Amino acid sequence: MPHKCTKCGREYNDGSTEILKGCASCGGKKFLYVKEEDLHKDVLEEKSIDEISKESRQQVLEVKAEPKKEVEMYDRVETIRIVGPGSYELNIEKMAKGDERIISVGKGGVYNIDLLSFVKDTPKKKKRRK
Amino acid sequence: MKIFYQTYSKVKKRFSSFLSRFFKKKRTRIGIYGPPNAGKTTLANRIARDWTGDAVGPVSEIPHETRRARKKEDIIISGANGATVTIDIVDTPGVTTKIDYHDFLEFGLDRDEAVIRAREATEGVAEAMHWLREDIDGVIYMLDSTIDPFMQVNIMMVGIIESRKLPVLIVANKIDLPEASPARIRSAFPQHPVISISSLDGKNVEELYEMMIEWFG
Repeated sequence: MPHKCTKCGREYNDGSTEILKGCASCGGKKFLYVKEEDLHKDVLEEKSIDEISKESRQQVLEVKAEPKKEVEMYDRVETIRIVGPGSYELNIEKMAKGDERIISVGKGGVYNIDLLSFVKDTPKKKKRRK
Repeated sequence: MKIFYQTYSKVKKRFSSFLSRFFKKKRTRIGIYGPPNAGKTTLANRIARDWTGDAVGPVSEIPHETRRARKKEDIIISGANGATVTIDIVDTPGVTTKIDYHDFLEFGLDRDEAVIRAREATEGVAEAMHWLREDIDGVIYMLDSTIDPFMQVNIMMVGIIESRKLPVLIVANKIDLPEASPARIRSAFPQHPVISISSLDGKNVEELYEMMIEWFG
């Protein structure tokens, strides 16, 4: 069964992944699952999508907003991203956790993993002179 | 007889190292952290000059002048009431999440120099974070009070320092400048002691020393 945007009425094929990003026409986040035969009811019978929803007893599906980009940035796997020569993005939270280095190049998801940095013995904490 | 002396000296050595473990002066290693251009090296130089007569490192207007952590050991700071604290000061490279060589070009560096500076600065941040994990007992977190303190990197760094349970003293620097707003820093970090100073002209530095004795002693 196809989906229909509750805001502008645009229809999407069943299983369409497009709706996960919100409606392509109006950016709406709510979609109704409609039967094939009811698909054009809103236009033909001048019904609102709310009414169709009540008639067909289908819940309106809400697509959740994507997580903020910034959060994603600090969840990243790499310690250092080389954006270009002489341009770096550093993940200091990752650096605070250990000396392991994963370096990514550009934005294309290319990673270099410094394997040696993972197996190095962590130097024992020197005894403080107190 | 020879054997006796050898054993005697061995025992003596052991005994003295055993004693020194208890009686050696207490030393605290303090890291000066903060974003680039906050005045970390200026403060480190001032502390070193006031108490030992030496300097720690060069300063400049171009961000990321300090790209290696520098250490000055055995600085004895004494307060007005006679209390003292012996510290090692570690001046660290400015911690930031983005380093771009383009930012250095406006200071007149040529492209190659700027690219090298960016690379060294990146290594410097990694080194600063390494020190924080391994060998720091307390932190002076330095902020430029003319700049908005609510930057992601500051919130993150203070969070990291808190999670490591290190004592932290927040220093609002550059109060000699007219646009300085140390109150903004105070409101950003109400959970920590904040002291406003000018590490350039030395204003309030005496109070900072008193606080360091109290906080890190």
